[in-house]
Amino acid sequence: MSIDLLVQALLNGFGLAMVYVLVALGLTLIFSILEIINFAHGEFYMLGGYVTYYVFAVFGVNYFATLGFAILAVGLAGVVAERLIFRYLRGKTLNAFIVSLGLLWVMQASAQLSFGVLDKPVPSAFSGIVRAFGLVISVERLVVSLSAIVLIAALYLFLRWSRPGRAMRAVAQDADAAALQGVDIELVSALGFGIGCALAGGAGGLLAPVFAVSPAMGALPVVKAFIIIIIGGMGSLPGAVVGGLLLGSVEGLGSLFMGSAAVNVLGFLVVILVLLVRPRGLFGGA
Amino acid sequence: MLELTDLSVHYGTVAAVDSVSVTVAEGEIVAIIGPNGAGKTSTLRALSGLVRPSGGRVMFRGTDISRWRPHRIVALGLSHAPEGRRLFPQMTVLENLRMGAYRRRDRDAVARTLGEVLERFPRLAERRHQPAGTLSGGEQQMLTIGRALMSGPAMLILDEPSFGLAPLLVREIRAIVQSINRERGVAVLLVEQNARMALAVAGRAYVMETGRIVLSGSAAMLRESPHVKAAYLGG
Ligand SMILES: Nc1ncnc2c1ncn2[C@@H]1O[C@H](COP(=O)(O)OP(=O)(O)OP(=O)(O)O)[C@@H](O)[C@H]1O
Ligand SMILES: [Mg+2]
Repeated sequence: MSIDLLVQALLNGFGLAMVYVLVALGLTLIFSILEIINFAHGEFYMLGGYVTYYVFAVFGVNYFATLGFAILAVGLAGVVAERLIFRYLRGKTLNAFIVSLGLLWVMQASAQLSFGVLDKPVPSAFSGIVRAFGLVISVERLVVSLSAIVLIAALYLFLRWSRPGRAMRAVAQDADAAALQGVDIELVSALGFGIGCALAGGAGGLLAPVFAVSPAMGALPVVKAFIIIIIGGMGSLPGAVVGGLLLGSVEGLGSLFMGSAAVNVLGFLVVILVLLVRPRGLFGGA
Repeated sequence: MLELTDLSVHYGTVAAVDSVSVTVAEGEIVAIIGPNGAGKTSTLRALSGLVRPSGGRVMFRGTDISRWRPHRIVALGLSHAPEGRRLFPQMTVLENLRMGAYRRRDRDAVARTLGEVLERFPRLAERRHQPAGTLSGGEQQMLTIGRALMSGPAMLILDEPSFGLAPLLVREIRAIVQSINRERGVAVLLVEQNARMALAVAGRAYVMETGRIVLSGSAAMLRESPHVKAAYLGG
């Protein structure tokens, strides 16, 4: 087997994995701020998909403008969900489990009623392929991956250097202590939840042209995101990126030898292996 | 400057703090001593907004802050160094200190305060780029106090600053508290199980047992009280 083939397989794996990292980063950001797992996270991804379908495919707005709009709209939906529901669930793991499963069901049913149960195809925004160094990648995949990487970098810069980003890191490490330094916890929760959902919405917008849009489209990326988070360690943002790279490379290489159904199982194998060695994931704290 | 009137805190139906009244005047050092579970920390958490009081009133600088959330209380000049240090373990010493000034917008003033704090705690200055989680217990306590000073407070609340420290370090903390009070005119409300230390720095003190204030007065008077001697000063 040639080196080119291996590199090509890795590249294919990484492409989509970067988008799943976006979904995972949102989940883990929300977990680190509110200490809850939002099982309806995939439904915010689905919202991003439908926004993209209507704004881009139906109304014909520019793809990147649509993407920006999807991020904002879904982020806003996240803020509303936090104010109405999740603010009352801070630290209440079990309540959050039940409530967010309920929200998942309500959002999926609402999507079925409003948009129909059938898949809605979103045309590719970009055609053609790029060849370089003996590798081939479609322009669409390239745009999707690079956009995801730009969003990941934006999140990093925001958390590292901005004032609200600093407050988020403080709340993640010790919410009471952050409050005593003058951080408005309610504001940080709403903002953090909104940003987490915005990332999911962006991911939904990026993958809408790759897969079709449907009420149940959130399931696959969320499963991938959970695999990534468990590999990387719950609540760890660097862990999510490394987990995504690991999952992407395993799936990419695996696709050389097996069909896509079998490839989907590989992720779980990696999870089991990682947890055997490090029960809290690669970057999981004590 | 600070006035707690009939303050109560309930967890469920259990009263942890039961009609407690405490005052601290400008520039004063006041201590609350008492055994484990007396309700000292609960009192402090109620007055800085971390728990809702179930009754009573908290006045600070003439404002009723009983129902305020913590971030607004800090902005009013009340700074709380909590029990158990509660640093941001993954942030460096400097980042922790900067978090203490989170609500201050004047960069020059913050830089000045930072300089003062690093001067007061040379050991923190040496370790400014070290993650707080890797500091020794004594250094962590210094950082907790330093972080609380970064907001430029009019009043400082310290919850068991001597906990788990060797006698030499306890004396150092004591000197630091006194010098902050003297040089900056910062009022201090100090909660301690180490009654000897507390009664040595404070001008006045309250003794708290099972949610109530059972004794109060000048530190000199309490040092001579038979009850305090027997229960807190080891006979
Ligand atoms: N979050 C909570 N939920 C329920 N009960 C609590 C909570 N926090 C404190 N308590 C109870 O309230 C009572 C007072 O606790 P508190 O921490 O205020 O005491 P303390 O005087 O600070 O004790 P120590 O000297 O050990 O720190 C205790 O009986 C404690 O178990
Ligand atoms: Mg206590």
